[in-house]
Amino acid sequence: MSKTVFSSLSSGRIGGLVALLMLTLAACGDPPETAAPPETPAATANASGAPLSGKHGDGILVDGILSYPASDYHETEAGKPGGVLRATTATDPGSLDIHAISHGTIQWLGRFLFDCLVFQDEEGKTSPWLAKSWEISPDGKTYTFHLRDDVTFSNGEKFNAEAVLVNLEHMRDPATKSPLAAAYIAPYEKGRVVDEYTFEATLREPYTPFLDVLAQSWLGMIAPRQIREDPRSIVEHPIGTGPFVLERYVRDQGASFVRRNDYHWAPPVVRHEGPAYLERIQLDFVPEAIIRHSSLVSGQYDLTFDTPPQHATDIRGDGQLKIHSRVRKGNPMAVLSFNTERPPFDDVRVRRAIAHAIDREGLAWITGFGEYLPKADYLAANSRYYDPAFRNVLAYDVELANRLLDEAGWRERDAEGYRVKDGRRLGATQLVNEAVSTSRLPIAVRTDLGKIGFDLKIQMLTTPQILERRYSPDGNYETFAGGYWHTNTPDALYIYYHSNSITTPKLIGQNTSRLRDPLLDEWLGAARRTTDTATLKELYRKAQERLTELVPGVTAFESQQTVSYRAKVHVPVFDTSHNVPFITSIWIDPEAR
Amino acid sequence: MKSVLRRVFWRLLASLAVCWGAATLTFAALHATSKDPALTILGQLGSVPTPEVLAHARHEYGFDQPLLVQYGRYLAGIARGDLGESWRLRIPVTQAIGEQAGATAQLAFFGAALAVLLAIIGAVLTADRAHWVRGLSSGTELVLHSIPTFVLGILLLLVFSFKLRWLPSTGSEGWKTLILPIVTLAIPIATSLSQVLRQELEHILEQPFIIMARARGLSEIRVRLGHALRHTLTPLITLSGYIFANLLGGAVIIENLFSRQGIGRLMTNAVNGNDLPMVLGITLLAALIYVLINSFVDVLNTIAVPRTRHCE
Repeated sequence: MSKTVFSSLSSGRIGGLVALLMLTLAACGDPPETAAPPETPAATANASGAPLSGKHGDGILVDGILSYPASDYHETEAGKPGGVLRATTATDPGSLDIHAISHGTIQWLGRFLFDCLVFQDEEGKTSPWLAKSWEISPDGKTYTFHLRDDVTFSNGEKFNAEAVLVNLEHMRDPATKSPLAAAYIAPYEKGRVVDEYTFEATLREPYTPFLDVLAQSWLGMIAPRQIREDPRSIVEHPIGTGPFVLERYVRDQGASFVRRNDYHWAPPVVRHEGPAYLERIQLDFVPEAIIRHSSLVSGQYDLTFDTPPQHATDIRGDGQLKIHSRVRKGNPMAVLSFNTERPPFDDVRVRRAIAHAIDREGLAWITGFGEYLPKADYLAANSRYYDPAFRNVLAYDVELANRLLDEAGWRERDAEGYRVKDGRRLGATQLVNEAVSTSRLPIAVRTDLGKIGFDLKIQMLTTPQILERRYSPDGNYETFAGGYWHTNTPDALYIYYHSNSITTPKLIGQNTSRLRDPLLDEWLGAARRTTDTATLKELYRKAQERLTELVPGVTAFESQQTVSYRAKVHVPVFDTSHNVPFITSIWIDPEAR
Repeated sequence: MKSVLRRVFWRLLASLAVCWGAATLTFAALHATSKDPALTILGQLGSVPTPEVLAHARHEYGFDQPLLVQYGRYLAGIARGDLGESWRLRIPVTQAIGEQAGATAQLAFFGAALAVLLAIIGAVLTADRAHWVRGLSSGTELVLHSIPTFVLGILLLLVFSFKLRWLPSTGSEGWKTLILPIVTLAIPIATSLSQVLRQELEHILEQPFIIMARARGLSEIRVRLGHALRHTLTPLITLSGYIFANLLGGAVIIENLFSRQGIGRLMTNAVNGNDLPMVLGITLLAALIYVLINSFVDVLNTIAVPRTRHCE
């Protein structure tokens, strides 16, 4: 979820000019400090540009599988309590009703105020949080949760089975207008309060990702009294069970949070005892990338959740600063999503040719400035059940791309060098959202495809126009500039590629490739019905292999997020679902406060 | 006096027409680009709204009604002072504008005041001076006026906030956060105003009553401040519409650059998020203020300068 769409005013346009200004200013100011050799991801690359092994950011890449050390997900030593964290982020989510929005900020901001029923462990397995334990009925339709009995909301209300019931109802109530949470729990049919601390959820059909999505930050628990009596107040004054309480929220300016001193129910996996370390958090919304970076460098802030990747090299060379660039689970960044029902992309040879013609290393570089990991397959490398065996199937190989197009019958060339068949030029129109900041990607892709004689035209559209085409029931498009879908489960593949996810007059779906493959459908469907890990591993392995044969789109690099902070700040733990800093464990050196 | 009243009446009617026009045009433009606003609200990238949720939103916001009915409801709402609910923020538009208006008003007021002050100082000091003084000042003004606002803002931030660390780079609270934004806002306005004022001042300094004043032995500074300056204020009043437009346009950039809250930031986010009620609300507000200022200036001129009464 939540592909962050930055304001068109930010980064791009201003950024370039600013870089120039910085250069001139640096020239007339102090001599630039000699940069220490930047800690760039040293790794051995292969033909697809995807490194096989080595260190990547915080992660370790072994034979294509990216993993983060287990110690990134739990505290190894206790931090020192106290202090105020001054932090920045690019955008204001606009509303703090986590059930009613899909904003990416909620991945870490949601954890300030809310807790979830369950939490993932470092391997992606479900582990306890507000629910101590649970059972799943043999038919996979009934989930019984045994809840903690010592949790309270910050308004004094008890957290109990009734609270869970009210929250699940709030998520799916059409009046909440939930763009995300409602869809994630769509199979949820009804709930029952068995006793004060036992809740039973009944699903319409077996849906094993249920536990995964319940761990996501958008599905946290809001005070039931607030939901029942004044749901509109959640937008600005939400009440949760989280480690912090919202003190003040000034839209488009900032928000401040104070620690809840009676909090003692952090997820056991994190190994954190008692309340959060930080006493207060002052969060400011700073839309301009250059200002977020410069204000961190000059010490006006301690941490920024949205580090512009173009500054990563500077930060790595600065002893005062630290940086983490981490991969989101789910579907990686795609630069093309083909409509497999329409020519020319109804021919799998054309799709494969295009996938081989894309220089992913180049695309990763112009977007991530060395921070992003090139990617040629369809599941994020740190997703559970990721299988690296197929990572090079669609590797960069222009010769092969040309041969495939020859085989597909596109042998002749016209005066401009593009391929033609029966008098028609080989090409397509790519629809690009003008509001998305990564607009240099489509141009780079167009250039790559021009080299194999494919004419990729770019059509810029506004967001409403894009959405209308994207979700037209008849698939009124040839190809989209892709995107990513972050979710903490390999069910991401179902969301993107199962035929049930194709948009119809009655349903909005993310399968914009309009892929209908009986085998893939069978495996992805079966994965939703089984809990056996060995079976799941095999099903997802087959699905990943099949996708590299079907080529529904072209992925280019892992979807990544970058956080940076001053050296006095300690960020020992990352969120297992979202791979963002886990707020409860952050602490600041007492001497430097 | 009758003619003044009649003029005021027509002026008000025209103002109303301008506001209605602004509301209608924005309504038409935004609806023309979006056939299914429910999808725009809930289907942004990263979302997967269920059919029930979409149907609910269509009904709640009245998208299931014919466009004319929606338009009628919208106008009726405006008449009641109800601008609808923001799609993005899920709160009433009037509340959102209310929360942000103070910050922008503060920025605009001090920005305008500083601009006028700088312009007057510049004009009084340099009008009718030696050739090189005029050349230098109008050259500087031209350069400052030509620098895009965000470049100017970033330069000021780099020097005074990130390098010297005298002033904060973000925020809306406290006088310190206001300094760089108002300077950034004021400079482009001040530079163009001072060009106009200088010319006007030079024109007036040639008038017989100034020669009289000088003949009476008044010092140059008293001549300029006490006698000439007052007469240059008429073009300043007439230019207030221009000043206002600059303030509003400047606020959009400055509020984003200096991470300040305010109407400009609200507008940027509303446009990027396709938040139709919010865009309409802010457009209407801008049109209203613009019209009010122009009407006020017009009436002021009518009363102050009798000869304009016959120029209908």
